[in-house]
Amino acid sequence: MIVTKPSAMSAGYLSCHDCGKLLQVKLLPNRSALCCPRCYASVHFRKPHSISKVWALVITAMILFIPANILPIMRVDFLGVVDYSTIMDGIIYFFHEKEYGIGLIILIASVLVPLFKIIGMLIILLTIKFKWRRGLRHKTAMFHFIEFIGRWSMLDVFVIALMSCLVDFGRISSTMAAPAVTYFSSVVICTMFAALTFDSRLLWDA
Amino acid sequence: MNPSNHLTACPACDLLMETISIKQGEKAVCPRCETLLRQAKTHSITKVLAITSSALIAYIPAIFTPLLTLKTMGLAQSGSIFDTFLSFYHQKYYFVAVLVFVTSIFFPLLKLSLLFFVSLQLKIGVYSRSLPLLFRISHYLDEWGMPDVYLIAVCVSIIKVSNLATVEYNIGLFCFIFLVFMTRASVSALDTHLFWNTIENMKKKLRHIKK
Repeated sequence: MIVTKPSAMSAGYLSCHDCGKLLQVKLLPNRSALCCPRCYASVHFRKPHSISKVWALVITAMILFIPANILPIMRVDFLGVVDYSTIMDGIIYFFHEKEYGIGLIILIASVLVPLFKIIGMLIILLTIKFKWRRGLRHKTAMFHFIEFIGRWSMLDVFVIALMSCLVDFGRISSTMAAPAVTYFSSVVICTMFAALTFDSRLLWDA
Repeated sequence: MNPSNHLTACPACDLLMETISIKQGEKAVCPRCETLLRQAKTHSITKVLAITSSALIAYIPAIFTPLLTLKTMGLAQSGSIFDTFLSFYHQKYYFVAVLVFVTSIFFPLLKLSLLFFVSLQLKIGVYSRSLPLLFRISHYLDEWGMPDVYLIAVCVSIIKVSNLATVEYNIGLFCFIFLVFMTRASVSALDTHLFWNTIENMKKKLRHIKK
């Protein structure tokens, strides 16, 4: 049995996305563009066009995720031998070298986290699309988790930045970035924007 | 002036509920979706002011002096955080270079200085019209400043290069570690609710004086 609880919107209240101030709609001036009296941000009941923007960003991230993993992300020159490696190659290298901790960190940060974000956002979007009403509390918690882990996928990009800057000994040994860096960082940016544009209140509106 | 102050809406599920007053050290959690609504913190304004000013002192050495020096076969190579941005730039990965610059150099600085100015103004009680805007921008930067992610990346790189060359730790690394910890501390000392309420009260007082 579902107990309906009042949402602020149905009670005629609107809360500011930026500072959280609660405003009573009937007391607001009757204009099309409203702004919060406390922080001057524009206010809406829900973030405008949230669902379609998030769909667009998640689909873009899914498409970019493919070249990010197939193309090489790092180029290593060692004594004249050029070697390209993808994200997976780097992880396998660490497991071969018995550096399980670091291997696991990179595996989580650069493969599992983006994958989890994309799948998680898809589950949330489908929940809204088909008005599933079960486990909303867990889905909200999952959304907060997706928001939290978003930035950690940048780890691999920073590692490559540091490696290409530090390991630069001319012909003896040097490391450079390879094309997948651009795709990979685009995936991170898209999923982060998806989490930012999504309005979790839409989950509870159905 | 404010008829809706006794009510609160959950930012994550829009549940309307009565505002409960919480004591310092307590948390308010939404009864429906379990999102953290508010956590009262002690001496938030003073703490944020102290933490951000000490972090800003460490900022320049942390970003511009070398973090690590690699030595192999008589060659030495050292690099600062600013150099990592330059190396992407020289390799013509402009998009990633800008991203690295923004997330690891520019936004952390902007975030710290905004929080510094806002907490300073709240501390000495001077209201300026730009205050709400500055504090709002510092909220937007929460996600995008990533010095903490960068620190983990430094650890990973140290392990990666340690079997290739000998690694020397430079002063920049210690300043950077300090900067990361201070940035995290400023986040956990910040009581957003209190800051907004103080800003609102200052504004009201100002309007009262003008009348």
